[in-house]
Amino acid sequence: MRIALENFTKTFGDTAVIENMNLEIASGEMLALLGPSGCGKSTTLFAVCGIHRMDGGRLLFGDKDVTSVPSQNRNVGVVFQNYALYPHMNIYENIAFPLKIRKDNKKTIDEKVQEIAELVHIPELLDRKPIQLSGGQQQRVALARALVREPDVLLLDEPLANLDAKLRLEMRSEIRRIQQKTGITAILVTHDQVEAMSMCDRIAIMDKGQIVQLSTPKDMYENPASEFVAGFMGNPPISFLDGTVDENDLRLANSSQSLPLSSNISLPNDGETLRLGIRPEHFQPNYPAKLSGKISFIETQGREVLYDVTLENGDVLRSIQSSGMPHAIGELVTWGIDPDKTLAFAANGSRL
Amino acid sequence: MRRAHLLGLGFMAPALLIVCLFFLAPVIMTAVFSFTNMSSGTGISGGAYEVTEKTVRRLPEHGFPEAKAEMLAQDVYRIDPAGLTALGAGYGKALADEVGKSLSGKTFNGRRDLERALKKMKARPRSIREIKVAADLFKRSVLNTRYETEDAFVAAITDLDLKLDTSERALLSKVAYTGWTWTTENYELIATLPSTLRAAANTLTYVGFTLAFNVGFGLFLALATFYLPGAQAATFRAIWILPRILPPVIYIMMWKWLTWDTGFISSFLSNFDVTPRNWMLHSDINAWVSIVLINGFVGASLGMILFSSALRAIPSSMLYASEVDGASRLQQIWYIILPQLRWPILFTTAYQTLSLLTSFDYIYLSTDGGPGSSTEVWALYTFHTALNNYGGALQYGLGAALALVLVVIGIAASLVYLRLFNFDKLVAKPRIEQ
Amino acid sequence: MTSNFKTWPVTLLLAVLSLPIVIMFAYLIVDTVTDTTAGSLIPDRFTLEHWRFLFEPPQTGRADIWAVTLNTFLFAGSTSLIVVSVSVTSGYALSRLNMPFRKFFLGGVLTLHAFPTVTLIIAIFLMLQMTGLYNTLIGVILVKTALELPFGIWIMKGFYDTVPWEIEMAGIADGADRFTVWRKLVLPQVHPGLAALGLFSFLSAWSEFILPQVLAPDGASQVLSTYMQNLIKDDRAPDFNLFKSVGLFYALPVMTIYLIFNQKLMNIYGGGTKG
Repeated sequence: MRIALENFTKTFGDTAVIENMNLEIASGEMLALLGPSGCGKSTTLFAVCGIHRMDGGRLLFGDKDVTSVPSQNRNVGVVFQNYALYPHMNIYENIAFPLKIRKDNKKTIDEKVQEIAELVHIPELLDRKPIQLSGGQQQRVALARALVREPDVLLLDEPLANLDAKLRLEMRSEIRRIQQKTGITAILVTHDQVEAMSMCDRIAIMDKGQIVQLSTPKDMYENPASEFVAGFMGNPPISFLDGTVDENDLRLANSSQSLPLSSNISLPNDGETLRLGIRPEHFQPNYPAKLSGKISFIETQGREVLYDVTLENGDVLRSIQSSGMPHAIGELVTWGIDPDKTLAFAANGSRL
Repeated sequence: MRRAHLLGLGFMAPALLIVCLFFLAPVIMTAVFSFTNMSSGTGISGGAYEVTEKTVRRLPEHGFPEAKAEMLAQDVYRIDPAGLTALGAGYGKALADEVGKSLSGKTFNGRRDLERALKKMKARPRSIREIKVAADLFKRSVLNTRYETEDAFVAAITDLDLKLDTSERALLSKVAYTGWTWTTENYELIATLPSTLRAAANTLTYVGFTLAFNVGFGLFLALATFYLPGAQAATFRAIWILPRILPPVIYIMMWKWLTWDTGFISSFLSNFDVTPRNWMLHSDINAWVSIVLINGFVGASLGMILFSSALRAIPSSMLYASEVDGASRLQQIWYIILPQLRWPILFTTAYQTLSLLTSFDYIYLSTDGGPGSSTEVWALYTFHTALNNYGGALQYGLGAALALVLVVIGIAASLVYLRLFNFDKLVAKPRIEQ
Repeated sequence: MTSNFKTWPVTLLLAVLSLPIVIMFAYLIVDTVTDTTAGSLIPDRFTLEHWRFLFEPPQTGRADIWAVTLNTFLFAGSTSLIVVSVSVTSGYALSRLNMPFRKFFLGGVLTLHAFPTVTLIIAIFLMLQMTGLYNTLIGVILVKTALELPFGIWIMKGFYDTVPWEIEMAGIADGADRFTVWRKLVLPQVHPGLAALGLFSFLSAWSEFILPQVLAPDGASQVLSTYMQNLIKDDRAPDFNLFKSVGLFYALPVMTIYLIFNQKLMNIYGGGTKG
């Protein structure tokens, strides 16, 4: 089902947390609300599920206006960060609870619980209590409980934050598999860009109550709309170089070095400041526009190695390369940048 | 109104009802009662009107003509239709008719005169005793007769034919009223009575010493049991929880046994040639030491519980770290533990101040304010004044005024605690906005 | 904790300071089954005669101990029941529900929680006399309930506060209304709190002395505390063996409950600090 927020506004006390936000999620799509803590992503999620009231704007499920429909009647499924399983009920009762409230008959409940348990791979756990389950299993139960009512939309609030690294990887693909299998519209709230990129069709990146960019993961990585988005997406993160425009070059601040700028962007006037974003994979030994610096840090990541290169003005560029190169800390290197793969930002942070 | 609002108010309703009935109403009533002269003498419902010998004596003091006051006290017998009807019913129509014919409208001062007149009747009762009873049917005196309403009283007075003017009649009604009246004299009494001053001074002594003992000793117990090995600590905690959990009546009974003149201390000390005596009531000092210890043990017991749980909340890594840094036990207590206990200590102190200021049950059960009134604190003085004293004259109004002082202190202190409690954090909005 | 200090001086000091309580308590128990010659400290014979009060009143005119015990049970039991059932809903409303005057109610409960209730006893005494509830068990029960209530509500609110919001949010998203959420999802989480509050109120009423003494001094409605106090007070030559036997009988339920539910009750002491 299509979900649409129109001019959504939310205030706490006198401060507006979110103002006039618009967002549309296509039917069957999984969308990530990504952003740092306090950006308003959870507030948005709670407004969609009805736990928070909207102070302005409309919320549409399909063509139906549900703005003032109480949460109980909205038909949403929610998975919380701590799973919120009912500790005094066993797994079967947990999953059956939404159906029991809906007063389904016993046989229907039984069939549906079995069916959903199969889907999330926990049929053997039904008579356990939540406390006897591992984090990953609890997560599956929470998913099953959220989905058993066949809701119009599935809301996931930081669902992987409480899992250890290995389980997180496993559940990432599991959630995506189940979402695709059921074809349900889903919203994932997360602060982890890897999660957002790997699980979702589109990402809405939020900052200070605003959606700053809404796009597919690939597009967002390659074409960030602002310095904030560029800095948020990508691990290891992008590095930035400051300088002033000098014809078609960037003269680095406090440095004698300069870099050629891409011809694809509309350059500001000479003498204006500009910030260049360079991703670690685009600072490599064989790229054309050379920069010299000293290796100040080496992080071995197994298949790849991450180098921090400190330029003479103190700026640091990151480079990620296949392992096997015999570099050492303190070594002077001259590596290159492909000007067409750099991202240029104006002084106010917007993309050029 | 939203449905969750209704649910909330519905959920609160029983509590609100009870609180209104037993907190709000008593607070207001305490204030109301404090402006009355209510006592066990006046009763608590409306009073009646009655002229007694005492009233007659007091009347001239208020400016009532003495002669008329004396007339009030006299027995007056008047032959009127009402008396005649009663006579007819009791002793036959013949006597009534006879008396009516010869004596109607006449007034006798004193029963003897009437008896003499009655004896002249032909249809008179045979025995002297019956004549006396018959005469009483014509008694029209107000002395020692209760009238439930002012109208009835005024009617009876008018009947006496004392020729009172309006102001005299009003004065008479006022003096003859036996019920309670509005007055501010309770507050004048509080300001002037030496016993209130004494009670206030005793309260300060009591609160000061007991509080110091509670907090100091409670802290010592908590720290000592914190450092002792498990089994020993558990034993001492179990011992020191006893004063807190034992019902006050038993706890005080045990102290009485300990300090009685044939009790444990006396018996024990007699081995060292110390004369047996009552170690609780022998002297003022004895009484004060007993009171502070009795209350202090209970308070220290509570302090120990609170401080112990605060101590357990200190991360043990912090204590290990200070040990690695070379701190001795005392340094650890002084630099690491006490700063972290600052809030529990402040809190306990504030709370117990109020609680000690108003509690009197342990004192009531042990010394009952004695010897003399050397340990009578304000709360106990209030209690004695209004609810429990040997004279039996309970002054509810004065007691209420004394209690109101404590009520006002209580409300003020409670409001101060609201600030201590970090109230703004407590009223954080519910996270489900329904 | 490592022991880089000598513990025995602390132990010794504590032992000396604890002596009065230990002596009082030891003799409380020993004296109920022994006789001691006056002036001596060592009991000289075993006897059960101090417990005769269980079968016949200790003096003529005294009520039967079992009737008094029944009164006490009624008093403490009803108080505990009402306190718990009223606190269980109000505590939830204050902890979780949006409603008008919520801030005012919270402030009120907090103020009353600290408020010295005993100062109201004169007004309550007069009010009970005016309403005819004076000298009845019902009157004392109502008053004791009311005075315990702010504490109970506060404690229950504390227990509700510890239930994760997400449980409730999940229940709402699952389609349950607030009442069902409370009844089916939240209430089961605070059962330990209910039990603790129930026990605590029971013990508090069981030990209560001033209220029954002032509000229901009559023989028919007396409870163990007033019974015992009258026994002590009326006696010219105190029979401490008898007092202690009655006292032990009276204290036994309290101590049993503490022994069994120690941990639960400590929770309440940690949360509420009414001294």
